[in-house]
Amino acid sequence: MENYVYIALFAPLVSSLFAALFAQKPKIQLVGIVTSLLIGIALFASVILFMNIEETGKAVSVTLMDWIVVGDMDTKFGFSVDQVTVVMMTVVTLISTVVHIYSNYYMESDKSFNRFFSYLSAFVFSMMILVMSDNFLGLFIGWEGVGVCSWLLIGFWYEKKDETRDVNPSISPSWAANEAFIMNRIADLGMLVGIFLIYWNLGTFKYTEVFAHIGDLSHTMLIGIGIALFIGAMGKSAQFPLHTWLADAMEGPTPVSALIHAATMVTAGVYLVIRANPLYSQIPEVGYGIAVLGTFVAIFAASMALVNRDLKRVIAYSTLSQLGYMFAAAGLGAYWVALFHLAAHAAFKALLFIGAGNVMHAMHDELDMFKMGGLKKVMGWTFLYMGIGSLALSGIYPFAGFFSKDTILEVAFNEHTYGIWFILWLTAGLTAFYSFRQVFLVFFGDERYHEIGAHPHEAKPYALWAMAPLAVAAVVVGFFKEDFVEFVTKFLPEYEMSEHTEHMVVILTIITTLVALTGIVVAYLKYAKGLKRNLEFEQNNKLYKLLYNQYYIPVIYDRVFAKPYKELSDIAWKEIDMQVVDASVDGIAKFVEKSGDVSRKAQNGNLSSYLNWMAAGLVIIIVIAAIAVAVQ
Amino acid sequence: MTIGLTHYLVLSAILFSVGLAGVLRRKNLLMLFFATEIMLNAANVAFAAISVHIGDLSGQMFALFIMAVAASEVAVGLGLLILIYKKYGTLNLDNFSIMKG
Amino acid sequence: MSNILTVLIFFPLIAAILGLFVNQKSIRVYGITVAAAEFLLSLWLWVSYDNSVAGMQFVEKLKLIPEFGISYYLGVDGISLFIVIMATLMTLIGIIALSVKDNLKNMIITLLFLEVAMVGVFVSLDVILFYVFWEFSLVPMLYIIGAWGGDKRLYASIKFFIYTFAGSLVMLVGILYVGYAYYSTTGVWSFSLTDWYGLILPFSVQKYLFWAFFLGFAIKVPMVPFHTWLPYAHGQAPTVGSVILAAVLLKMGSYGFVRFSLPLFPDASVAYITPVVIIAIIMIIYTAMVAYAQKDIKQVIAYSSISHMGIIVLGTFAMNVEGIAGSVFQMLSHGIVSGALFLLVGAIYDRRHTKLLSEFGGIAKVMPNFATIFVIMTMASVGLPLTIGFIGEYLSLLGFFKVSPVLTVIAGTSIILGAVYMLSIVKKTFFGPLTNPENEKLTDLNAKELTALIPLVAIVVWLGIYPKPVLGPINNSTKALVQLMHKKSITPKAQEIILVSKDKGVNK
Repeated sequence: MENYVYIALFAPLVSSLFAALFAQKPKIQLVGIVTSLLIGIALFASVILFMNIEETGKAVSVTLMDWIVVGDMDTKFGFSVDQVTVVMMTVVTLISTVVHIYSNYYMESDKSFNRFFSYLSAFVFSMMILVMSDNFLGLFIGWEGVGVCSWLLIGFWYEKKDETRDVNPSISPSWAANEAFIMNRIADLGMLVGIFLIYWNLGTFKYTEVFAHIGDLSHTMLIGIGIALFIGAMGKSAQFPLHTWLADAMEGPTPVSALIHAATMVTAGVYLVIRANPLYSQIPEVGYGIAVLGTFVAIFAASMALVNRDLKRVIAYSTLSQLGYMFAAAGLGAYWVALFHLAAHAAFKALLFIGAGNVMHAMHDELDMFKMGGLKKVMGWTFLYMGIGSLALSGIYPFAGFFSKDTILEVAFNEHTYGIWFILWLTAGLTAFYSFRQVFLVFFGDERYHEIGAHPHEAKPYALWAMAPLAVAAVVVGFFKEDFVEFVTKFLPEYEMSEHTEHMVVILTIITTLVALTGIVVAYLKYAKGLKRNLEFEQNNKLYKLLYNQYYIPVIYDRVFAKPYKELSDIAWKEIDMQVVDASVDGIAKFVEKSGDVSRKAQNGNLSSYLNWMAAGLVIIIVIAAIAVAVQ
Repeated sequence: MTIGLTHYLVLSAILFSVGLAGVLRRKNLLMLFFATEIMLNAANVAFAAISVHIGDLSGQMFALFIMAVAASEVAVGLGLLILIYKKYGTLNLDNFSIMKG
Repeated sequence: MSNILTVLIFFPLIAAILGLFVNQKSIRVYGITVAAAEFLLSLWLWVSYDNSVAGMQFVEKLKLIPEFGISYYLGVDGISLFIVIMATLMTLIGIIALSVKDNLKNMIITLLFLEVAMVGVFVSLDVILFYVFWEFSLVPMLYIIGAWGGDKRLYASIKFFIYTFAGSLVMLVGILYVGYAYYSTTGVWSFSLTDWYGLILPFSVQKYLFWAFFLGFAIKVPMVPFHTWLPYAHGQAPTVGSVILAAVLLKMGSYGFVRFSLPLFPDASVAYITPVVIIAIIMIIYTAMVAYAQKDIKQVIAYSSISHMGIIVLGTFAMNVEGIAGSVFQMLSHGIVSGALFLLVGAIYDRRHTKLLSEFGGIAKVMPNFATIFVIMTMASVGLPLTIGFIGEYLSLLGFFKVSPVLTVIAGTSIILGAVYMLSIVKKTFFGPLTNPENEKLTDLNAKELTALIPLVAIVVWLGIYPKPVLGPINNSTKALVQLMHKKSITPKAQEIILVSKDKGVNK
């Protein structure tokens, strides 16, 4: 079994290096095929591992070699595949394979085709390190690795220039890439602090050893570690206030958004909380804080999705909102529920993004949904896929989201955190509304795309076939819930609903489904018959403007952080460094020079005045000697 | 009243001050030479007196040594003076400031 | 070969003198051959280095002035070994990538002299010998900046010389005082470092000596506010000068902290952790901000050097094995990475004769190899795991976390601010549309530049993934150093802070 671990881990690396060989060459179709195959092999290995672990119930561990051995620290490249890991691996490799195959279509006319596949596979490799590592430091390698790959991929079309768009003061792929990297770095500092605390208190980074001794630590220390690690998770999973990068990351190619910014990388934070469940179970107050933040993000992001016109940004906000759901579940102690929603969400969200990619291709990269409409006729399959994805996202029976999201709501109810339950319930309604607003705006109603002269076309058949596994998963995953619970609770703590909740389940399900259906119906009534814009409302309604402008947060960040930092830096350089520090150094030098200039006059060349000076010096020496003698 | 060490030293100090005053006030190079000779001899007096006082001959040896040095100095110095006078036609110190910084 | 260190010092010296008789045409080949032979020699040093021994190896001792205990005393341990190898490597790479046209012969001979001084500083175990090499290193650098520099080269080179010289004079007073203290304690004169290690000075003496040595090292590092010579020196120096200045000469200061300040004055070092580290933190954050404000690519790298040196100082004053080993490793990593970055800036300067950020933009399109290597070095510079930059930065911060979590968090903002200025120059230089027509005909890196850069890229990745061959010896020698400090410390505070092993620390 160890070999399969290596195959799953290194196939993406081989794939990336292979593509990198041709990175500067014009498109070679073979690169796309080979990389897709290699990622497929990783998927295959992951599935074998999955079955093996299901059979034996034991984790598969391998240790590659020493990494950092210094002082008392002994860190190795160690990988361990347990129930949680293997679920993550399967999800990651499945979606990666689909996205790789799909990218052959999406990037077919891009001149940097080979480079794209190199980055994409490198991302898969980093993500595999992240989920497979058996220690916190290894996780951090993957953590930063996915950050860099995300930076490379968001900024893939680096030659585009900065522009001012909507609320963003300046945006371009390279700008968004830097924003994502720097915001994640802020969170990484928190993560590093958590790692430092673990090291100085437990002396090891290995999950098994850390969690075995977690009870030895004081409660305050545990809270410290828990908060520090969660700050790290907030960055990767784009939780408020570090959320702005995710929407801006939509500047990257759409397959990237599907893979990184929907299905895999952004769930790394959730994965970390699930992984550290022995820690977070000890500190329910931090867990509650996580749940509250998650809930807030769920509704906060959903509210922005309600009015946005950008096809990809709507999906990005919905990702943000769903990540909030996952954190709410994990924070409340229902770790397997969070993991289940993570897996289900990965499938249908990737499906939605890839569907959006098809639409973008059809619309010649136009993203404004107000300029689409009626695409159902030409893009039947894409409509079907996005429909399935949206139904799953809205939580309609029998799609995946129904099972996973409903369980989160039940958990919130079961924990007597009715506030969280209510907000999540309300968000479920909003989710259904904005998902179907999107579907109706794009596929129904009047054909507004004629105005911009687009000639939409359906994607190529193989691209559509590649999407099929995701669509199937979005439909059927829910029915495997019981098996999933049985599988992962061998590793994760079980979560039992109280009897009271069990009684209420049916009622809860009904009212949740009702609010979702209401959302869909509202969206249908408003958008399905064609777009009727109320310009006056859009321009004057304060709430609409607030939501449309993302609560003005990008502007606020720009004014409060980016610009003052730049100004402060300029002051530090021009005022302090040049005017104070360097000037005082030069001042000392000038003082020496000036005093030389002054004392030079003493050297007037007149021998008799020299003799006077000499005599004066002699007198001074005698006086000093006399004083010295007198003192002694 | 016997003449003791103190008297010799006072004499030496007076001679030295005379010499020093000459060095400081005189403008003529020749006069400066005389003044320095006076200072050297002041030192000689002090050397010889102290030598006798502590019963060590090295002081008197030093005095002789200084005389020898002073003699050679005068020999070289006067030669230079003559050259300077030939070249500039004056021995006034204020006229020589070529070492001005 | 038992006197390999002597060969290592004098081989370039003799080669430099012989170089005077080599004709202009073949001088480049001659220089590369000599530097390569020297580099191979230093590699041989590594091969024959015994990893299991923590103390000094290849020791040579020859009495020079026995009356004052001054001797020709050489030796290396894990701390200095790799800095020596890096010095020979960076000289070789500097000569390979050399792009100066005029007086090439003088340049190569000067570089060989500089190599003598650099190797000498790091292998000297006699403090007077160390001081001689330390000062000697200024002369070739003064010449390099003053003769091949930019428009303000005279100002920059004189500032560099006088500033660092002034600092080291104060250090010289300290050295003489320690020698005198050794004499008054033991009755014999000795300036050999290993003898001094046995000397336990009272705290009241240590505190003055600590600051005397500190001034010399701090100006060399350079620590804020003694740093202003560096941007001028880098700004005016030719590429090879900047490469060696950043890679090796700055390390002399931080090496001095590890080799002198800590083991000679352990109590004073512990007592002054807070002021020193506050300076280091100001250095990290303030210069990161100044770097962000720069308009010239080379100045960004110059200021980023100062910021990274702050991390090194922080790790050194962690007083535990993790931190000190991390800071020594960071010296190597910073040497390789900043050296490579200066080479890259030099490559673009040779093509466009400007280093202003506003002149560039979108050149990833015309210079893809250049952009790729620059991005790799950027990532190493911001401390990405699996590159060389991560290990040193991470260990330094980790080590200091034990001393003060709060200060570490403040210093840790370097991972954010570092990303801010580095990514901003990457964006401004490589990304965006190619607007300046001058840039359209830029050619990618040529064979010469690739030969110089690819080994550095390989080292960056190799030591990032498998640092053990280097970190192992560093770890052993650092452990010995910390044990020595712990043993000779006299104040209770130092006993507590200097942490030999975690298990014996306060926490367990």
